[in-house]
Amino acid sequence: MNKTLPIERAMRRCLFAFQLLALLAVCLPLTAVSAANGEAVRDVTIRGTILDETGQPLPGATVTVTGSSAGTVSDIDGNFSLTVPDDATLVVSFIGYATQTIQVGNQTEFTIQMTPDETSLTEVLVVGYGTQEKRDVTGAVSSVKGTAIQNLPVSGAAQALQGRAAGVNVVRNGGAPGNQGSIRIRGTGTLNNADPLIIIDGVPGGNLNDVNPNNIESIEILKDASASAIYGTRAANGVVIVTTKRGDFDQPLKFELNGYTGVSNAIKTIDVLEAPDLALLKRERYTNDGLAINPIWENPAYQTQQTNWQEELLGQGTTQNVDLTLTGGNKNSSFMLSGGYFEEKGMITNSNFRRLSFRLNSDHKINDRFKIGQNLQLVSIDQVSPNTLSAQTGVLWSAIRFHPGLPVQNPDGSYSSSQISGEFGDINNPIFTQENLDNNNTSHKLLGNVQAEYELLEGLKVRANFGLEGAISDGSNFNIIVNDQIRANPRNSLSRSYNEYYSVLAEYFVSYDKVFADLHKVNFVGGYTTQTFNSDGFSASKLDFIDESFDQRFLDVGQTLNSINGGKSYDALASYFGRVAYDYDERYLVTATFRSDGSSKFAPGNRWGYFPAFSLGWRVSEEDFFQNIGFISNLKVTGGWGSLGNQNVPGLQYLALISSGRRYSFGGNQTVGAAQTRIPNLNITWESAQMTNFGLDIGFLENRLLANFNYFIKNTKDMLIAPPTIGSIGTAQIPNQNIGELRNQGLEMELVFRETKGKLFYSVSGNASFIQNEVTQLADGNFIGSRLYGRSSQELSRTYEGFPIASFYGWRADGIYQSNEEIQSDANIANYPRRTAGLIQPGDVRFIDLNNDGLIDETDREVIGNPHPKVVYGLNAELGYGNFDLSLFFLGNAGFDIYNADRMQGIDPTYPFNMYAETINRWNGQGSTNEIPRMTTKRDNLNHRTSDMFLERGDFFRLKNMVLGYTLPEMLTSRIGVTRARFYVTGQNVFILTGYSGMDPELGYTDGNLQLNADFAQYPQARSWTIGTTITF
Amino acid sequence: MKKTILYLLLSGVLLGACDDSILETVPYGQSTSSQFWRNADDAIAAANAMYEPLVTHDFYGHAEHTFDIPSDDQFRAGDHGEDQAIESFTFDAGNPQLYYSWRHKYEVISRANAVLINVPDISMDQSLKNRTLGEAHFLRGFMYWRLMVIYGGTPLILEADVLANEYNKPKATMEEMQAQIAADLSIAADLLPESHGPDDLGRAHKGSARGLLAKLYLYQENFAGAIQVGQQVLDGPYPLADDFGDNFRVETQNNPEMLFAVQSLQGWRENNHVIYSTPRPWGGWDFHEPVQDLIDEFEEGDPRLDYTVYKPGDMVDLGGSRGLTPYTEDLSSTGYHFRKYSSWRPQGGLNMSHNNPILRTADVYLIVAEAKIRSGQNGDAEINAVRQRSGRAPLTNATMEHLIHERRVELAGENQRHQDLIRWDRAGIVDIVAIYQKDLGPLKPPRTFERPKHYLFAIPQREIDLSNGVLTQNPGY
Repeated sequence: MNKTLPIERAMRRCLFAFQLLALLAVCLPLTAVSAANGEAVRDVTIRGTILDETGQPLPGATVTVTGSSAGTVSDIDGNFSLTVPDDATLVVSFIGYATQTIQVGNQTEFTIQMTPDETSLTEVLVVGYGTQEKRDVTGAVSSVKGTAIQNLPVSGAAQALQGRAAGVNVVRNGGAPGNQGSIRIRGTGTLNNADPLIIIDGVPGGNLNDVNPNNIESIEILKDASASAIYGTRAANGVVIVTTKRGDFDQPLKFELNGYTGVSNAIKTIDVLEAPDLALLKRERYTNDGLAINPIWENPAYQTQQTNWQEELLGQGTTQNVDLTLTGGNKNSSFMLSGGYFEEKGMITNSNFRRLSFRLNSDHKINDRFKIGQNLQLVSIDQVSPNTLSAQTGVLWSAIRFHPGLPVQNPDGSYSSSQISGEFGDINNPIFTQENLDNNNTSHKLLGNVQAEYELLEGLKVRANFGLEGAISDGSNFNIIVNDQIRANPRNSLSRSYNEYYSVLAEYFVSYDKVFADLHKVNFVGGYTTQTFNSDGFSASKLDFIDESFDQRFLDVGQTLNSINGGKSYDALASYFGRVAYDYDERYLVTATFRSDGSSKFAPGNRWGYFPAFSLGWRVSEEDFFQNIGFISNLKVTGGWGSLGNQNVPGLQYLALISSGRRYSFGGNQTVGAAQTRIPNLNITWESAQMTNFGLDIGFLENRLLANFNYFIKNTKDMLIAPPTIGSIGTAQIPNQNIGELRNQGLEMELVFRETKGKLFYSVSGNASFIQNEVTQLADGNFIGSRLYGRSSQELSRTYEGFPIASFYGWRADGIYQSNEEIQSDANIANYPRRTAGLIQPGDVRFIDLNNDGLIDETDREVIGNPHPKVVYGLNAELGYGNFDLSLFFLGNAGFDIYNADRMQGIDPTYPFNMYAETINRWNGQGSTNEIPRMTTKRDNLNHRTSDMFLERGDFFRLKNMVLGYTLPEMLTSRIGVTRARFYVTGQNVFILTGYSGMDPELGYTDGNLQLNADFAQYPQARSWTIGTTITF
Repeated sequence: MKKTILYLLLSGVLLGACDDSILETVPYGQSTSSQFWRNADDAIAAANAMYEPLVTHDFYGHAEHTFDIPSDDQFRAGDHGEDQAIESFTFDAGNPQLYYSWRHKYEVISRANAVLINVPDISMDQSLKNRTLGEAHFLRGFMYWRLMVIYGGTPLILEADVLANEYNKPKATMEEMQAQIAADLSIAADLLPESHGPDDLGRAHKGSARGLLAKLYLYQENFAGAIQVGQQVLDGPYPLADDFGDNFRVETQNNPEMLFAVQSLQGWRENNHVIYSTPRPWGGWDFHEPVQDLIDEFEEGDPRLDYTVYKPGDMVDLGGSRGLTPYTEDLSSTGYHFRKYSSWRPQGGLNMSHNNPILRTADVYLIVAEAKIRSGQNGDAEINAVRQRSGRAPLTNATMEHLIHERRVELAGENQRHQDLIRWDRAGIVDIVAIYQKDLGPLKPPRTFERPKHYLFAIPQREIDLSNGVLTQNPGY
């Protein structure tokens, strides 16, 4: 078998995609761009001095000339000189100061006084169907600039957003390549899909992983109802608006090349028993139980340490990125063209993520009134993900438990197997599993739109936006014949699935901007939009491939047809929306928003939902009475309320669906049956969230220190939940029902301080969110269960009224019985038949009798832990000195519990698996330990039931990113036509401070929103180091 | 100019605005219950779907067999730690084994209820309609039977409950359960055909319904009923196979003696119990190992032993490259494996088309024999029919002791023994406590059966929790 072939296949697919992209790039109406070259001009030498706001010289400021590569930097006395054409425009910039543009003309001597940058106030934010200046915003909006996340070695913007904005929690669901995690804005807003709406360049519904992070100009996060109500239907979980970079009009061609490469390695592995100790403890189980020792544990052949399976599984990963961006523009047209390739190979063999991306954005002025703009994004993604979530077959789970006395491969080349003995568990050799994984998911995606804007009257514009988002997804999974592993597969099979998805967006809206009498500023936007979603796919699977070579893994080769399936779905949204913002004298601000949405997901009659919102703002610092308070440079208070919707559930739930395909056989003949697959809910309708928000913006020291505080209460009502289902209903799917209420409330703060002293620039920023989540009402006061753990189906998490979503639920333990006297006198088990039957022995766990009935049973369980952090925070420090720049980004979560289910099973001797190394410290006599129960083959006392014994604090503080860069002096680079060349080293997950004993405290969700931070031996995040460069010319 | 704006605005907005039809969608490729139930094809498809859950891994594919591991026939083996508590009567209501098959049984009931509600209104061939309704009554009765012997009373969900959307019901009493099972099986016996053609082997027929009804009557100590209904089976077209082993071979497993079996077809819908009961090095998962005490129960030279277990010295053709392979003692911790559930493909590997027997005519012979003996009649004819097939000497004036022996060897490993012992203990015929106290070696040490607690398993704790207090636990748990 040729092992390189799957890669070749993937490469071929990539190549095809490349050709496609190239073709498109050529065929697309590329804007002809030429730098405006006018009549002959005269060169002059100019001199100048640059001063700061106090009149002191400002060294290190950059002076460039528009439309040329000429430029210089002011010296220690703030002086500069430069030879330029007499029609040149100078651009003077310095970090922390407002950039100035100066016409040269006849002047040759300049004194330029810089003023501190107030961009953070005049900064323009994208707020949906328009932009607003930050100082006018009355809702809660966070903004992350593209520069903050540029060139981080991550597959997508979601990961890069982690910890960057208050109230925006990016929950990492393990570290598998391409796994972007879950974004939770202002807490988990619902038990169903709580993902925010993603809008990429005006097209709702895209995926953040599809965007090359280096193409991103900014990401705005609309957090409160007032800000996001304009997207009413889908805004209940917040809105993330991604705006990509564009060219400027009258700008010469500029190339930017980004490249980085690096390696990643495991941060930590779990210490497990070595073979001799394992045999010792396994024998002790039998001896303690008075049973004959299974002879396999006396067999010296399996008592020599051979393999550390985790080290075999977790190798070195690599990350690579290269992208090239070209921007430019003339008087009428501008464009941005970019192509890139990103590849991440994970620490585990055969876990990869590759993205080939292409982007073309352009803007055109047809005349003074008529503008057309366009965005096009094409990506091709190839992903291979190992199974790291199952506590019965997951590869990392298996590596922790596979017998350490077996070699990876036997001397004859075959893989070692636990078929040897039932004492070795039902685990396949994890290296065998991973090396034979052939599971590729490829998708080719398109996201694009064309916008037109016509100015009818001054300030009154009619606009239209037509968008298309589509994807072709192709999945392929080949399972080889496995005879010599315990989980055998007697017949090989190939499954292929193919799905086409596309969404069509049409938006028509008008906007009106006008200032009346210099006091009344009015902004209105309103319109109508529709979006349709079509999906159509099929899959096929065949069995019995005579030849398993990679070049034979095609459906044609399979001898036996197994299945062919196909289906189609259609959904649509239709909406009216409007927003009015009014500003009186830059002091009093009002915004009112309304949206009405119809969704095909609900039954006729229940389709339309209405979502109003308003907010008020008062810029106190603009009042006359405030002018004397010198140290506060800006003060704004805001407040708002609004209602938002959520319809992010499967469609057609109002119908009782009958599906065919129920297989059975009669007398060896295949038959197919049809049965109801879902109970209908005729009344299903919107879930809504009412949110109240209070905000405070405050600036000190001429806005060098800026602070923002927001307090919010978000009540989710009519929550769409598939309620707890008693088994007597059967296995049919239960529809979502509008039951349940949820409250999230919290405080968010963001602080930025920046200062420039000579060549030194530094800024420190931080953000923190304190959010509480509570389910305030559930169906019948009952709970909602969640994913069970492992072979024994242990319950870990339940969602109860009055508690946070996904609370840990179980018994409470109180150490270990040291003696029989302790057992006989323990009030917890005074009436417990197991005590009298002699089933509880010294070395067993003492569980607490919570209901005081003298015995331990299921009624002694309660909520034992909260998986939601009380505080999520990020800290960012940036330091620039001359040509060096250093940035440190720390991330922290505090005040939450992790349920270490992997350890619960890892120290449980009743499983036929290897155990955690700490198990050697088991109880083996009075006073030996109060932590780890005795060895036994029996579960008489269920020592390893779900209890607070395995609950750990999850708090962590990690240096998420560290970037050290050096920009070559311009005088060097300009000689070779390079405007800017920067080299850098980036470290990811450089260090972590945590008391958590597992591999990684960032475990994420394992069952929708219903289970969080439970350790299933997930794919851990790696520590990675990359080197890279950015070159502009 | 102003008019133009107005037109532009209006046309843009109105264009889509008044068009709500964009929100209309349909379930492509699926039917709704209002479109289904049109004709005989739909009725048959719905009937086929009732059988589908039976073969699921969490039901007869594996989990259902766990309810027999407390018996003195077998050691649980395998690597499911929770099984140890079941085997030793130390389980509590949270033990996951108690839970696995619960929902699948109710799924069969739910699909049967759907047939019983909708099929009567379909205009179709009457005999086909009768068959379909009969299958629904049989499967519903069969499910409540399994629920009843395992848990005692459980919620009885019938047509009216489905129409009223009422699923969270309290436990029915034992009497209500039995009355419902008897009613369903009686109606099924009326509606179902005597037998099926080759394309429909494995569907329930009159013999399936009457055989199970006879068993119910025996459990109710309605001996006259058991004899009467059982005799109808024995008089029907359901003769014992000539060879006991025919019941456990893929080629002959659907012979007339097999009154009901969960069907399995390789590559289509497979019965995992085949893998569970097979030794590890032979590609299995090594559960349910017979103990020496069972082997010793077989009379010297009883050919049924060879079909029932793999024992050291047996040569087994595993097919493919392995071919004829000796069974050795080290393949099992007790030295044996059950053989009734495995056969091998010529090209190697387990033959996954091996069915899972539920009810055989031999069982009905022994039911009738037991009913006769316990009601003071002579059961020799029935017990000897079973014995003579396997070359055993006929008995005269057979006693319950003979009957108990015969059931144990004839039906070993067929998920009967634990329930048989409970039935006999309740009637004062055996002392189950003493039987389970017997030391059957280090793998099967004495276990404490508490009377009456362990006559029933515990209702799964998860169901009790989900019922919000409606469902109550069995006494003693």
